Amino acid sequence: MKRKLISAIGVAGMMISLAACGGDNGDGGGKAGADGYAGQTLTVWVMDGSSPDQWQKDVAAAFEKKTKAKVKFQVQQWNGIQQKLTTALSEDNPPDVFEIGNTQTPAYAKTGGLADLGDLKTEIGGEWTSSLNESSIFEGKQYAAPWYFANRVVLYNKKIWADAGIKDTPKTRDEFYADLKQIGDKTDAEPLYLPGQNWYHFVGLTIGEGVQLVKQQDGKYVSNLADPKVASAMQTYKKFQALSKAPKDKDEATPQQAEVFGKGNVGAFIGMGWEAGIAIKANPKIEKEIGYFTIPGATADKPEGVFLGGSNLSVAAGSKKQALAKEFLRIALSDKYEGELAKINGVIPNKESLQSNLQGNAVAEAAAPAAAGGGTTPLIPEWAAVENAPNPVKTYMTAVLNGKSPAAAAKQVEAELNKRLAQQQ
Amino acid sequence: MTVQIERPPSGPVGVANKHRRGSAGAGPRGASRARGLVPYLLLLPACAVTVLLLGWPLVKDVLLSFQNLNMAQLIQRVTEWNGIDNYTQVLTGADFWRVTLRSILFTAVNVVVIMVIGTLVGLLLARLGKRMRFTLMIGLVLAWAMPVVAASTVYQWLFAQRFGVVNWVLAKLGWESMADYSWTSSQMSTFFVVTLLIVWMSIPFVAINLYAATTTIPAELYEAAALDGAGGWKSFTTVTLPFLRPFLYATTFLEIIWVFKAFVQVFTINGGGPDRLTEILPVYAYIEGVGNQHYGMGAAIAVLTILIMLGLTAYYLRIVLKQEEDEL
Amino acid sequence: MKRSLFGRLWPNVTAVVLFAGFVFPVYWMFSTALKPTGDIISENPVWFPTNITFEHFKRATSVDNFWTYVGNSLIVTLCAVGLSLIVALAGSFALARMRFKGRRGFIIGFMLAQMAPWEVMIIAIYMIVRDASMLNSLVPLTAFYMMMILPFTILTLRGFVAAVPRELEESAMVDGCSRSQAFRKVILPLLAPGLMSTSLFGFITAWNEFPLVLVLNKEAEAQTLPLWLSSFQTAFGNDWGATMAASSLFAVPILILFVFLQRRAVSGLTAGAVKG
Repeated sequence: MKRKLISAIGVAGMMISLAACGGDNGDGGGKAGADGYAGQTLTVWVMDGSSPDQWQKDVAAAFEKKTKAKVKFQVQQWNGIQQKLTTALSEDNPPDVFEIGNTQTPAYAKTGGLADLGDLKTEIGGEWTSSLNESSIFEGKQYAAPWYFANRVVLYNKKIWADAGIKDTPKTRDEFYADLKQIGDKTDAEPLYLPGQNWYHFVGLTIGEGVQLVKQQDGKYVSNLADPKVASAMQTYKKFQALSKAPKDKDEATPQQAEVFGKGNVGAFIGMGWEAGIAIKANPKIEKEIGYFTIPGATADKPEGVFLGGSNLSVAAGSKKQALAKEFLRIALSDKYEGELAKINGVIPNKESLQSNLQGNAVAEAAAPAAAGGGTTPLIPEWAAVENAPNPVKTYMTAVLNGKSPAAAAKQVEAELNKRLAQQQ
Repeated sequence: MTVQIERPPSGPVGVANKHRRGSAGAGPRGASRARGLVPYLLLLPACAVTVLLLGWPLVKDVLLSFQNLNMAQLIQRVTEWNGIDNYTQVLTGADFWRVTLRSILFTAVNVVVIMVIGTLVGLLLARLGKRMRFTLMIGLVLAWAMPVVAASTVYQWLFAQRFGVVNWVLAKLGWESMADYSWTSSQMSTFFVVTLLIVWMSIPFVAINLYAATTTIPAELYEAAALDGAGGWKSFTTVTLPFLRPFLYATTFLEIIWVFKAFVQVFTINGGGPDRLTEILPVYAYIEGVGNQHYGMGAAIAVLTILIMLGLTAYYLRIVLKQEEDEL
Repeated sequence: MKRSLFGRLWPNVTAVVLFAGFVFPVYWMFSTALKPTGDIISENPVWFPTNITFEHFKRATSVDNFWTYVGNSLIVTLCAVGLSLIVALAGSFALARMRFKGRRGFIIGFMLAQMAPWEVMIIAIYMIVRDASMLNSLVPLTAFYMMMILPFTILTLRGFVAAVPRELEESAMVDGCSRSQAFRKVILPLLAPGLMSTSLFGFITAWNEFPLVLVLNKEAEAQTLPLWLSSFQTAFGNDWGATMAASSLFAVPILILFVFLQRRAVSGLTAGAVKG
């Protein structure tokens, strides 16, 4: 017994010394030597699903060819990203380049964690679409580079729709509802997968109603959830959510809605076009069944309002490889690779001139009609705090779906929402 | 053994003499003083480690609680003192007091349920035949050994809205409305699942401990009680209970600490939701501080949480103080 | 005294019901992990896995870096437990066997340390480790895990040491052993069960910890199994088969340790718990 214990302790001691040796291997300064940046590795954070494997591979190859340095892509989840990003930006070795959501960019620009990309904008950003660049500018300075933009579409399972005897995709909200009903009646599939907290879709609906979630009052931003137009957007959401068996208190990422859809027993879901890739990964057989259409609006001439989601690329102010990071941006945002991203994912590129890449792309064709009427949450530094879990907007949605009146639900979360908007920075 | 007599002369008097071999201290003065240092030397590593790894973070936490520390300050590593702002904001808001009350109630309910059922199961173990006892022990040990992260995941599956086995059973038993019930949709149902999880995980510790303690009760005590004409209940209250009292105190103390700090269970089951209604103090501190990136505020809540915890356990700590005094 | 049939029956019936209640979640975890997906997602639960499949286990372990997580978890846990045993043994010997000024203060101090709510101090710890440039390393993780289990280890071991009869030690010394020899040759072997049971609880705590490693180590190379398990919900969504397989894998080492050490652990705890 004694010997065993002693040997156990001995092993433990050895492991400690091993652990102590396994420190980090810093990769030196950020200056280009005679050999370019050979031996260096650039860390790039991209969000789950936003950049396809092929694109990453191509960009990495081009980057390595030009700079002799390597690039390491690290895929991040949206849930909890702000907590992770904030701490990461404060560290000695932050990610050198990272993708950041357009609604979150102003808050981070204000923190001083993002490097000034003014010179890069002059150099390669002359043609950036100004409306898409808006979120990257804070107090007159360029803190990020617009990367891609996208709005949600309906992804549907052609086989299930055909089984239900539906010939054409719906053009109005009522037709959409009727079709889903028909699927529910005629097949044993779940007509629509819509979890209770797909709040980006809800934001889209409010944009369709022509209303914002917050309003300005005495120079401060406060909750606008009590607005009757918000209530009517929520009623629309509720009506469609009732067709789904998805949990009312979860968002589209838990579980990944595309994986649920991929199992083949769901008629449709509302999501980003590239989510098809997630479904296909989960079940390759689903590929030929996936179709896309624009989210129908109240009338046939005007599609549903959509949240114009987008991502920017930023460089950490604390990165020791500023020059190399900019090299990466030059390559990733070049017409070639920006175009490739648009082509594969069907997302809107940062320049008008690259839109030609979207021709014949089913996703982009479904997304485009709605994009004109799209919008975002207010691009103010105060907004990021609202998105921290538990997001009061999500709380509001679940409350209504569970039977509360929109007015009562709005009242319930108002204090929390206002507190976050007023949070000291 | 004989160390007690080598106490420095300034120590409390009158204790050493009751121990044997009191003459061992008669060695040379220098050696005796050096020996007097032995216990401190033995405790030195533990104390050094505690000061470094617990004391330092505590002090740091107190310092942070007087700072305005948000995203910008954290990222730029700047220190902005803001006096007692965090405390005034926390203490004047209704949230903190609501969460505190909830935490105390939550702890009380859980600890009472755990202690009562745990004690009963412990006594049952003592009553069972050998084979049955072994069987029940196995069950208890399995539940006890389940790592909390795995256990919370399993409970989420048991109580899942779709295909969860609990809903299926309830529906079969006649509660048709439970067939698609979402346990995370309301405050009470979430608390129910969390409580069930905590109670399930904690009972084995109490029960097995209590059972082990009952096996050490000398049989003579029962015989004596029987001679005095005590019945089953009487001998329980006069012999079993007094004997078990120190165990009960000690386990209650541990359970209070563990339940009060049950961050992982509450956080993984429903993240303090719905609508922040199941946040207990540690979860509240985490969500306000880390989640909401209001780090100074989170630190202030952490300090207050620690103070409340000290208050809750003060009674037991006083008993220990007295008990140790008696021993000396 | 002869008990009635009812009197003999009810304890056994209660025991069976309790047994079922305590075992079921563990059973359900393993059985779900072994069932094909069709049997998991079925309108009527399949109580006994008939078509056993290891597909979920394959899925759970094919996650990137799985073996790195296993290695890290083992290193961190074993080191933390080993170190805390060494440090605690010295301290608990002093507390159990010696009289000195401030002894009570030390005991109360460790009891207070045992109460430390680590989850709420995460930001303070994070900033200390960050400012020391020790992020993404197993060293601070090991150190803090050791600290988390140290107070419990000291207090419990103190009970074990106190339970070793003084006379044994004395007679050893009469036989010419020095005190340290007496300690090694007499006390330590007698303490073995106590050391095992305390290390078991330390093992569980360190094995389970995830809030701290979540903020300290962002690099996958320095992460541990609890993170892998807790990230499963997001990555695998409602894939309960894979999730339960992961939970099973995570729980098995502890379950095995526990079943092996159970008897000793229990007797040890009794000794320890008297002293709190």
